[in-house]
Amino acid sequence: MSEALLDQARAEGRTVLNEVESKQILAAAGLPIIPTELATSPSHAAEIAAVLGFPVALKVVATAISHKSDHGGVVLNLPDAAAVRAAYDEIRAATSHLAAFEGVSVQPMAAPGVELVVGLARDPQFGPVVMVGLGGVLVELLEDIALRLVPLTPSDAAAMIREIKGLPLLQGYRGALPADLAAIEAILLAVSRFAVANPDIAELDLNPVIAGPDGARAVDARIVLIENEHSP
Amino acid sequence: MTTAGEANATHAAVQSELRQRLARVLNPRCIAVVGDKQVRNYSWLKSLKPFTGSLYSVQVDEREIPGIEELGVKNFGALADIPEPIDFVVCAAPRAVAPHIVRDCIAVGAGGIALFTSGFSEHGDEQGKQLEQELIQLARDARLPLIGPNCMGLHIPRLGVRFSTDQPVHAGGDIAFISQSGTHGLNFSLGAALHGLYCSTLVSFGNGAVLEAADYLDYFADDDTTEVIGMYIEGVRDGPRFARVLRDVARRKPVVVWKGGQTEVGKRATLSHTASLTTNSRVWNALVKQAGAIPVDSLDEMLDVVKALRHPHPTTGRSVALAAMTGGQSVVIADDFAKAGFEIPIFSAASSARLREFVNVIGGSAENPLDLVNTVLYDATAVRRVLDILNEDPKIDAIAFEVSAYIMHGRWAKDPALLEALLDTVAAFNRASTKTFAVIIYPGHVEAKAADVRDALQQRGVATYPTFARAATALAKAIAFHAARAEP
Repeated sequence: MSEALLDQARAEGRTVLNEVESKQILAAAGLPIIPTELATSPSHAAEIAAVLGFPVALKVVATAISHKSDHGGVVLNLPDAAAVRAAYDEIRAATSHLAAFEGVSVQPMAAPGVELVVGLARDPQFGPVVMVGLGGVLVELLEDIALRLVPLTPSDAAAMIREIKGLPLLQGYRGALPADLAAIEAILLAVSRFAVANPDIAELDLNPVIAGPDGARAVDARIVLIENEHSP
Repeated sequence: MTTAGEANATHAAVQSELRQRLARVLNPRCIAVVGDKQVRNYSWLKSLKPFTGSLYSVQVDEREIPGIEELGVKNFGALADIPEPIDFVVCAAPRAVAPHIVRDCIAVGAGGIALFTSGFSEHGDEQGKQLEQELIQLARDARLPLIGPNCMGLHIPRLGVRFSTDQPVHAGGDIAFISQSGTHGLNFSLGAALHGLYCSTLVSFGNGAVLEAADYLDYFADDDTTEVIGMYIEGVRDGPRFARVLRDVARRKPVVVWKGGQTEVGKRATLSHTASLTTNSRVWNALVKQAGAIPVDSLDEMLDVVKALRHPHPTTGRSVALAAMTGGQSVVIADDFAKAGFEIPIFSAASSARLREFVNVIGGSAENPLDLVNTVLYDATAVRRVLDILNEDPKIDAIAFEVSAYIMHGRWAKDPALLEALLDTVAAFNRASTKTFAVIIYPGHVEAKAADVRDALQQRGVATYPTFARAATALAKAIAFHAARAEP
């Protein structure tokens, strides 16, 4: 499944995979991903939402967008079918200027937790590097991240999450329940395995991953392939 | 894909053969120096004077030959004329001649070559780059271990192989040092000897065109005479291979890594120094950490950490007993060790009771950190008594002890026996102790005296550090290494 979707993108010469494709690929690779499906009409979105369970979030799917919320492309916490249908139209209208509109993704709202960013980037000298950091709007400002080269060992994964200065937020800050660190480590190891299996991954973003006491799940995902390497 | 895979396999096979052939070069019985001359004061031949094997010169310039023969070194017109197998060639000839010398090495079956010659990829001109490519091609095709170019080559103290007349000759230690810079290599060999640390082999490898850091690391991992590996590095050619080798080697022997070019301007300098490409500092730091190697930021820290790694009683624990000579020092020693991640526990009840029997607490302290000035000033037996109690305290993993030349130099000058008794006591305790033991001698305004005391202690096998902070940092890094290694 994950291979088939990647091969299709490679065959089409596409380097950027959209949210829904990226999530399907990563879920098939064993990563904990919040279930997400692509809707192509308001009623389609409402049907999917009914299956996944309310409340849901809708996001625009268009390869040209990276900061979806900046474009009115994200609506959260939709409680019922009517709200979903209305949100679909709203997103379609807000992003109508975008040529690459492919539809709207539908997913259940994630349980609350600590937001993390997990990523994979390619260093020109040393190859793929796994990154983990605290998420939210401050991540880029604080640069509180930890890096390790692929392949990661279990002790690398354990060390990197403990290297983050914001670690106390994951350990039960101000009476919150401690987050499941083992689940975060499992994500880091899965990202490393995915990079080893797919040497043409240029970038991978799981942003955010929401970590709570009962696990950690990626709420958004994006895969970028290296240009030309495998195209026919 | 297949062809690239095969090319990689061939590349790896060539690299491995080159590395195996390095053994002959690093244990030479015959050395030839090509192109040494008066204007450099024949420094290659003079540096190699103590070499235990046979030394020859190759020089075709008639004006240079008398000076060479005055040194008692036989000169030949070509490598091919030398009447015995040559294990190692030092080439100081100009860059345009270098490929010819490499061809001659290959023709006579020389073991390997180090090219002091510079002006290759680090020079930045097209000719330099082409010449370096030519050297790489020649050496790889013939499987000739080529060190450099743009390097100082080898220092093998036990064989009298040197690249500077200042470098020590001795029976040989257990530290290998790999350096992209000749200066840092030289300063390591000189500084190390001052600190009672001795090299097995030191390689200055400049541009690392054929053999790079990963190859030397790999070699010293297998070298029985090497226990600790130190490294000054500016860049790597094959990143993934370096990461893999560092990880593998650091599991077997401690590897201390000093990276040059950590800032943007420093990176710019590495390009013209050794043609090293810039490396993202965050990625580099992650790589070193992940490999289990020990990062350091200066030559001083390199020496400190290598010293700390060679403590006879390594510990994985972080509880330290601190003994300073004054109140002010007892505060600062505690701060510096706490900042480095140590615990400074209250002594066990038994230790406290024993210390209170004789430690003068008026203007002093019998607690951790200890303030001992009024207890041990004239009394070496009291020093030993304190140290024995700390050694026997089950709560303590390591002991740091201050020797205060700045207070004592006057009394030592009047009564040299006082200093002798202190040195004997500290050295005897160091032999008897079962815990990591470090002595700190702050040079203060009596640098020369402090250096004498440091040398005297080091000659007796006691590890000394010039400041509390340097001792704390070095011990913390050594302990972190031992602790990581002790993990299942």
